[in-house]
This record gives sequence, C-alpha cells and structure tokens, in this order.
Amino acid sequence: MEMQKIRGKGLKGIMIFLITALALTACTSGENGKPENEAKPSATTGSNNSGGNSGTNEGAEDGPFVKYDPPIEVSFVRHLSDVVENNVLGVLKDETLENNRWTRVYEEELGIKIVNDWVVKGDITSDQYLQKINVTLASGDLPDFIPVNATQLKQLADSGQIEDVTELYNKYASPALKEALLQEGSSPFDAVTLDGKLMAIPMVEASIERSMFIWIRTDWMKKLGLQPPKTMADVLAISKAFTEKDPDGNGQPDTFGLGFTKSLWGGAMGLEGFMAGYNAFPNIWVEDASGGLVYGSVQPEVRTALQALQAMSKGGQVDPEFGIKDGSKVSELIAGGKIGMQYGEQWNSIYPLQLNKNVDTNAQWQAFPIVTESGDMAKIPLKFSTARFYAVKKGVEHPEALIKLFNMHLEKIWGETGDFGYYFAPPEAESVWQLSPVTPYPLKKNVEAFRAIDAARKAGDMSTLTGEAKTIQEKMESYYSGSKEGFAVWGWERIYSEEGSMGITDQYDKNNQFLLEKFVGAPTPTMVERKATLEKLQNEVFVKIILGDPIETFDKFVEDWKKLGGEQITKEVNEWYASTK
Amino acid sequence: MGTKTRRELPLHLMIVPGLIFIILFSYVPMAGIAIAFQKFIPAKGLFGDQQWIGWENFSYVLQLPSFTQVLLNTLLISSFKLILGLLVPLVFAILLNEVKNAVLKRTVQTTIYLPYFLSWVVLGGILIDILSPSGGIVNGLLVSLGLPKIFFLGDNNWFPFTLVGSDVWKNFGYGTIVYLAAITGIDPGLYEAATIDGANRWRKVWHITLPGMRMVIVLLSVLSLGQLLNAGFDQVFNLYSPQVYESGDILDTFVYRIGLLDAQYGVATAVGFFKSIVSLILISASYFFAYHFAKYRIF
Amino acid sequence: MGHSFNSTKTRQARKLEWFPIVNTIVLVLVAILCIFPLIHIIAISFSSSSAAAAGQVRLWPVDFTLASYEYTASRGEFWQSMWVSIKRLALGTPLNLLLTIMVAYPLSKESNALRFRLVYAWAFFLTMLFNGGLIPWYVTLKEYGLLNTIWALVLPGAVPVFSIILLLNFFREVPKELEEAALIDGAGQWTTLWKIYVPISKPALATLALFAMVEHWNSWFDGLILMGNPDNYPLQSYIQTIVIQQNLSNVSRDELLNLALISDRTLKASQIFLGSLPIIMAYPFLQKYFVKGIVLGSVKG
Repeated sequence: MEMQKIRGKGLKGIMIFLITALALTACTSGENGKPENEAKPSATTGSNNSGGNSGTNEGAEDGPFVKYDPPIEVSFVRHLSDVVENNVLGVLKDETLENNRWTRVYEEELGIKIVNDWVVKGDITSDQYLQKINVTLASGDLPDFIPVNATQLKQLADSGQIEDVTELYNKYASPALKEALLQEGSSPFDAVTLDGKLMAIPMVEASIERSMFIWIRTDWMKKLGLQPPKTMADVLAISKAFTEKDPDGNGQPDTFGLGFTKSLWGGAMGLEGFMAGYNAFPNIWVEDASGGLVYGSVQPEVRTALQALQAMSKGGQVDPEFGIKDGSKVSELIAGGKIGMQYGEQWNSIYPLQLNKNVDTNAQWQAFPIVTESGDMAKIPLKFSTARFYAVKKGVEHPEALIKLFNMHLEKIWGETGDFGYYFAPPEAESVWQLSPVTPYPLKKNVEAFRAIDAARKAGDMSTLTGEAKTIQEKMESYYSGSKEGFAVWGWERIYSEEGSMGITDQYDKNNQFLLEKFVGAPTPTMVERKATLEKLQNEVFVKIILGDPIETFDKFVEDWKKLGGEQITKEVNEWYASTK
Repeated sequence: MGTKTRRELPLHLMIVPGLIFIILFSYVPMAGIAIAFQKFIPAKGLFGDQQWIGWENFSYVLQLPSFTQVLLNTLLISSFKLILGLLVPLVFAILLNEVKNAVLKRTVQTTIYLPYFLSWVVLGGILIDILSPSGGIVNGLLVSLGLPKIFFLGDNNWFPFTLVGSDVWKNFGYGTIVYLAAITGIDPGLYEAATIDGANRWRKVWHITLPGMRMVIVLLSVLSLGQLLNAGFDQVFNLYSPQVYESGDILDTFVYRIGLLDAQYGVATAVGFFKSIVSLILISASYFFAYHFAKYRIF
Repeated sequence: MGHSFNSTKTRQARKLEWFPIVNTIVLVLVAILCIFPLIHIIAISFSSSSAAAAGQVRLWPVDFTLASYEYTASRGEFWQSMWVSIKRLALGTPLNLLLTIMVAYPLSKESNALRFRLVYAWAFFLTMLFNGGLIPWYVTLKEYGLLNTIWALVLPGAVPVFSIILLLNFFREVPKELEEAALIDGAGQWTTLWKIYVPISKPALATLALFAMVEHWNSWFDGLILMGNPDNYPLQSYIQTIVIQQNLSNVSRDELLNLALISDRTLKASQIFLGSLPIIMAYPFLQKYFVKGIVLGSVKG
C-alpha cells in the first residue's frame, strides 16, 4: 500500500539497526506480538539492583531503540479519559493504566519502566487536568517527563527547569518518527523552539483532521428534489427549502435549515466552514497580501458572512433559541430530526449525527465539500491543533528515554515489527493505543487509510488491506451486512465509504486547498491579558448580529477590538512571525 | 481566683484541637494570599523567585473594559439572591410549621429539599427545556394566561431574574432546615398559653414563632452579607451565553475566563482577596452594629 | 379589642377553615415544582438512549429499559467511589460534630467566663472569609503527606465554622439554671457539656449533622485535585467527570469516542440518581429529631 511504501525505506534502516546493534529479544514473533514469554530471560538478568544509576549500555553505542540494562524507571503524569476507562480497561480485565501491553513493551524491549506520579480522570482539555498540572508545577514536584501546553512550557523554560532536547532529538529520534511528525510541516516544532532551542517534543496532532465539511441530510434533499451545493447560493437555497418545504412531512413548520451552537465555533455544529464559503476565517491568524499576519475575525469578509446568517435567521432558518444552546442541546435537535444541515469535521457522523440515525433509521447524512460564493474552490481553514508537548525535567538521568518511547510507540503500531491489531485498535478495545503515555502517529494516517481502502475498492480486492485500513473496512462491511452491531458503526461508513468525508479530505489535500493557521507560538503578553475580553466581545457581537442587531455593529466591533488590545496583539504576533522566518 | 481558673481551663482545652486544625489547614495556606501581589508563575514554584508587583493585579482587573458592568451584575444578582434566599425559606418554614398532618409535613419537607442535590450542569439542560419560548411549559402557561412569551434565558431584561428565581428554587428547601430547627427549639408552652389567651394564628406567628427565630434570622442575615460578591459561579457558568453576557456575566465567570488562557493565579487570588476584604467589612460592620444597638454578639 | 367575644370566635373559626387548605395547596404545588427535575432524571435513566438523545423524554420513560442501571451496576469504579464516599462520610461527620461541639461550647460563654473569647471567635470566623487559593492549599496538604489518602478529604474541612457559630448561638439559648444546677452537683465543664448541653440541642445537632453529611457527600473538587488516582475518588468527583459540559471547540481524535460515550444521557442520569439517593435518604431519617418539646422534655427529665 501507499502507506507502507512511504515508510518502507526508513523502517528497513531501523530494522538493520535493531538487529545488528542490539542484543534485543530477537524480533517479537510478528503474529500476536504478546511479548511476555520472550521477555522473561532478560527480565531475570536485569537483577533489580538499585535502579541503574550508572552508565547503562555496555559497549554497544546508544541509539533510537537501544535497551537499558539494567532497566531504568521514568515517571509520567497521566489522564484517564472515560473511553479508556470504559472501553479499554473495562474490557481488558487484566490490564491497568500502570501495567498493560504498552508498559510491558516499554519495559521488556527498551528496559524502561513507567511509573505514574498521578492519574487524573478526564480529558486532556478538561479543567481538572489543567489545574492538576498547574499545582504540580507550582509544588515543584515535576515528573521526569512533563506534558504541558505552550504557556506552561514557556514558563518552565524561562525558569530553567527543563532540558534542551535539540541534540537528543537529532540523535535518538528514529527516521520514522522524524518523518511522521513532520508530515504537516515544521509548525509543531516551531511552537516549541524557544531561542533556537528545542525545549520539548510536540505531541503532534494532525491539522488535516480539522478540515470542515457541509453535512447535509440527503434523504431530505432527495425528497425535496435538491442537488448537492455548488455555491453558497445553493447552500442558502437548501437551508430555505429545509425550513419551508416541510422536509419531515409532518405538516408543521418545525424544521431549521442550519444548526450551530451558542459558542458559534467548533468541530461540530460550528460556523467556521460556513464563513470559509465567504473567504472569512475567524479566530485564526492568516497571512495578508503583504505577507504579514492578520486576525481573521476582524476582516470585512466576516461581515458579509454574518449578514448572510442574519438573513437566514430572519427567515426562520435558524433556531431562534440557538443563542443559549450548547452542543448537547443542538444535537438534541439534530437527533430529533429538526435540523437538516450543519458544518463540522470528518467525524461528525459518529457524533452527533449517529444520534439522529438511531432515532430515525431512514435519516441519511453525507459530507459535502465547502463551497464558496463564486463557486471557486474554497480554502479550508485548518486550526493548529497540537496543544500538548512533552518536556524533560532538568537533570533527569536518561532524558533520551522519552524519545525512545516515541520511537517504540510508532514502531509497534506502524513499523514492521509492529502489530496494529494488538497495539493500536483490537476490535474489543479500540482505544488501546491510549494506554501509552506517548502516542505519536503518522499525521496523515486517516487519509492514507482512506486512500488504501479506496484503491482496494477500485481494484475490487479488499484482501490486500492491512492495519487500520483493514479494521475500518471490516467495520464498513459490518454496516453493509445490516446487523445490529453494524448499524452502530454507520458513522464510520459515512467517513470512509466512497461518498465519505475522508474522500473529500483526500480531495482537499490533492487540490492544496488547506489554509493553515500561521500563529503557533505561546500566547503573547497582550493576548494573555486581553484574549478573554476580546473573545467575549466577539462572540457577543456576532450572536447579536445573527439575531438581528444592525450589521454596522460589526464595524464598531472592529474598532473596539483594535482599541482593546487587538492592535497590540497584531503587532506582537507579527514580531513572533518575523522571528520564525 | 483558683476556682475560676479551674472552671475556665477546661474551656480553653476544649478549643485547642479545633484551633490546631484551623492553624494547620486554614492559616498556613493563607500565607498564599501573597500570590495576589505577585506575577505568579506556577512553574517557578510557590517559594520560587516570583516577581513582586504590588497592587498591579488589582489595578489590572479594575481597568478591564467590562469590569464595572460585571461588578454591577454581580451586586444586582447577589443582593436579590441574598434577600430572597433569606425570606423564602423563612416563609416556608413557618408555613410548614402550620401543617398539622405529620405525613404531609414530612413529605413536603423532603421534597422541597431535592433540587439542592442536582448540579447546575444537570439543571441547566432541564431549565433550557422548561423555560423555552417555543415549547417550554412555563411559557405555555404564560400564553394560556394571555401573557406574552418570555425568553427567560436569552433576554437581558429577564436573565438576572431567571438566575435569582432558579437559585432560590434550588436552595430554599435546604435553607428551611435551619429555620425548622430553630422553630423546634421554641417552648410549646408558649403556644398553649397564647391559645388560652385567644391569640389567632397570625398573632402566634408574629409574637412567638418569629421572636423565637430572631437569633437565627439575624445570624443568617449577617453571615450571608459575606456572600455579597458571590453571585454563584456554577449556576451562571452553566446558564449564561454570549447573548446575555451584558446582564449575566459576574465577577467569578469573568475571572474564570481571564485565568483560563494562562493560569493567572495572581489575578484570581487578588480578586479572591478583594472579595474577602469586602465581606470582612460588611460583616464586621453588621457585627458591631448588632452589638451596639441590640447588645447581641453574633459569635 | 373592641370586639365581642362571640365575633372573635366566629372569625377565628372561619380562618381556621380556609388557611390550612390554602396552605396545603400552596405547599403541595411547590413540592411538585421541586420534585419535577428529579422525576425527569429518573425518567431519562429508564429510557432508551436514542429517545433520551432526541429529547423525547419528559416525565415518563420512553422505550422503558433497565440497560443504564445494568451498566452502572456492572461498573466497579462506580461502587468503588461510592465506598470512598461512605468512608469519608463515616470519618468526616463525627469529627465535624465533635469539633463543632467542643469549640462552640466554650465560645457560647460570656467573655468574663472565658478569657480571649473574642480572639478565639474571630480567629475561627476569619477562616470563613480568607483563603490562599488553590496552589498554597495543595502544596500545604502535600507537605503534610495527606495527598492520595482519605484524610485529605476529612481533615482540612474538619472545623466547620458556620456550624460552630450556629451551635454556639443555640447553646446560648440553653437556660442558665440548668448549668448552675449542674455546677452545684459538682459537675465539671466536660460533664455539663455532654450531659446537659448536647442532649438538649438534639434538633440543632441533627441539623448540623445533616449539613456535615451533605457537605462531605457533595464535595467533588478536592477529590479531583488531591487524589492521585481515580481509584480514590469519592463518588461526586467521579460523577463530575462524566457530567461536564461538552466542549466541541477542540475535539481531538482520542476524545471523539469519548464524546459519543458521554453523550449517552441515560447513563449519566442513572449515575446521578444513584449517586444522590443515599444522601437524599438521610434527611427523612434525621427528621425524627425535629420534634417539638425536646427542650421542655429534657428540662423535666
């Protein structure tokens, strides 16, 4: 497959390295990858003698996959999301966050024993996680490897508590890792390069996954004899028809054309995609004609888009109560079959659209590419989505162990010694990969999986699929079989089938339609002071305009925004931008 | 003197354990108020080399564009909550006390205390439904009474009162408990005597029940003054939206949003300290007022 | 006053007739208003997920099912955290009450019977108003070695100052004659407190016990921050992590499935209901102490 081809070269190199330079536990035997048996001998030779404080590798030169002997211990702090607790640990009864297939791999193949200083329940974006990290930083009790955001990283670096990892990364990162993390350019590394030094390893998240689509109820379109949109005028016409032509056939004027939430933005039920149709890119910093950075929210294109939304709202195409409804409330309307169109990311079919499908089996949704006013190809805004970085505490005995863990994670899933089905997503516990503290992945893996499936589909031979593509194809087949379990994965079919959202991502990618967010550094001083104020102002004004305030309010907003710190922030952002060039 | 000391010493000894607890768990961490005067950076540590900036955190908050509006919102919302939060439970305790049927009394008592146990996240979702102008039962009721519909959660004229109303509704049942305890402390003999004297229900409430609860009423009023700058973070956070920022944004949600981006603990501590000082002034004033005029020490 | 005996009597009789009826109606209506949300949650917990997701459930389950309860019952974490909450309550409530009584009693004395009374009183009172914020609090508890132990949930809040102020005021209402009688009998302060003041203040103590229990049961923030492992979370901390408001602004790939899971309202509803059931039951149980005449009774006895 294409995916394999890309990585083949690097991996071969690693393999040679692995086999020659190491006295590793041979190659774990491929088929099931359960390494307990093979590892026993090395575990006994390790003779737990005082945690290995002296030099580790006798003779052999150290490298990306060299094992520590005697084993070393490194500490992390972790979060435990609901999905890991329920769908992984809840299913795999003999694995815990402390002792699982990943920690065993790290211990047995790298001689790295992982301990968790603490575990907090919640997502990495949750308040409690953020606060837990902050109190940990303040109490001075840092783990060896610290997951931080841009602000925290800057604070740690400024107070000299973390290692410069420039050299280590160059020396220890496996070629596959370097390649995987750079698939979308160097921005993630720019974000953690302070004064020319690499101060952390970014937990790179794919921006490409942030692509926006128009999700439309195609059963309604069919019923009303509508065609997929080619221009914004078509989108507006569909919205109007969904509102006025009683698509649910209940004789009541109780449907809305377009759904979005009170926070206006977001990966589902957001307005970024709609605005992009007017060449407006709110909330992100984009390059203007002169090569400087400007803030998308205050550009005149946003005004046009707001005007269009206001007209829709006046025409009853928008829930008049949207201004107080969050995502779960709006998804209630979607589930109840009251909304026929919404803008969001590729996964929207899994949530919230599957909720609609569960209630009404005849409902059908499909993702369509973003369209523009003129009918030209739209630019797809991509938010910079890498928000977490692993820093290394100053004075740690083996700072490079972090990078080895990164290497190993990637290798065990996508490498040649890897076992995707065991380490990434076994069918019974799909999020097993999240048991590892570090989780790098090839950024374009999802679109690559689509390409693989699509190629196999066209060739009419699905047997060639491997890894993630194979797993996904099995899901889709389960859906096509009409079984009850299959019905529950309708959302996946909507992403990866011929008319799936990932196919559109593929098109976006091939057409070079992406518009990447340009500011990726830590918040500037004025941002820290004023961002909350400016955001409040923006969302208040936008919501009110949509609900009927005169459009001139927007011009006043732009003035206010500049006065209240926006101008200063623009200056700082451009200084930062100049410094990265 | 010997007897007096012998009498007094055990009293001091009784206080000691409690005193040790508050020193260890309240006064020691209270040293952290220093953070209000620092440009506090968590990564430098609590005892690290933090930069001292005097009153800058305070002036920073004061000069933020919407501070005045936020402060006014806070005062408006919390003073209504404060007054109704004292009165409604009081009225209910008295009404409950008039119920003779023990089963009814207990059932009502338990039922009105239920909403207290549901969090605002949960109640928020329910309120959006029942207060909705399009399908909510409250507006249905208004319409059937010939009144105009009200967008309780989205209209800036109504939003503060929606907050006050729903807060009182959630908490009054729990609030009645103290009053009920005070009522049980009243000597039943007083009521019997009054009945013999031919006093009616209203007179008994006015002359026996209320005076019997005087102490608790004064006490709760004074203590609740300390809450004047707390308009209820959890509630507002779960119910407000950009649409009603202008009437619903309060000090705590404001600080939360400022702190969110950059862990500005200095600012948050400064605001907390400011609130404490205001509470202290209000409570001290009413404490001395009560002592001076009524010779009654609240504590 | 100016009325004849007869007319007063008839007026009173008429009032007696309508007031209880109106009063009952008002109270019952308000009670219904208060029970509504809980019934709604119970109805959701017994409904199918898809009906709940579409907002079809009002006050009666739609597509009745026990699935959410079966799921919740099978969750070790749920019961584990409930056990932590019970331990917390069992350790915390008696400690709260003991310290409340021991501090409130001396402070209820006049200043001439207890030197530094005002200093003590203000020392306790000020802790209600001032605190150093999250970080100093955390670091202090860490230095004491309490993190990740049940004591971190019990000890820091062991002195409920609000309750102390309430109780000292209740103690002041105790007739002085009782204490003097005890003194003549040769009873010390300790005996006076436990043999006279405590029995006579049962309604007040029942109230404070309820407050302490509710406080311990409902606290969630300290559990999230102070416990280094979800195994040690009390129930409300655990529930808090599943009922948070959804934030769709930056859903990363590993949160996606989470979102679908969290959006199952029936599960949330059943856990919220089961989670608050024990503490809701506490009140009716304590109500038996809210009986009139206790003061009188103990004076006589």
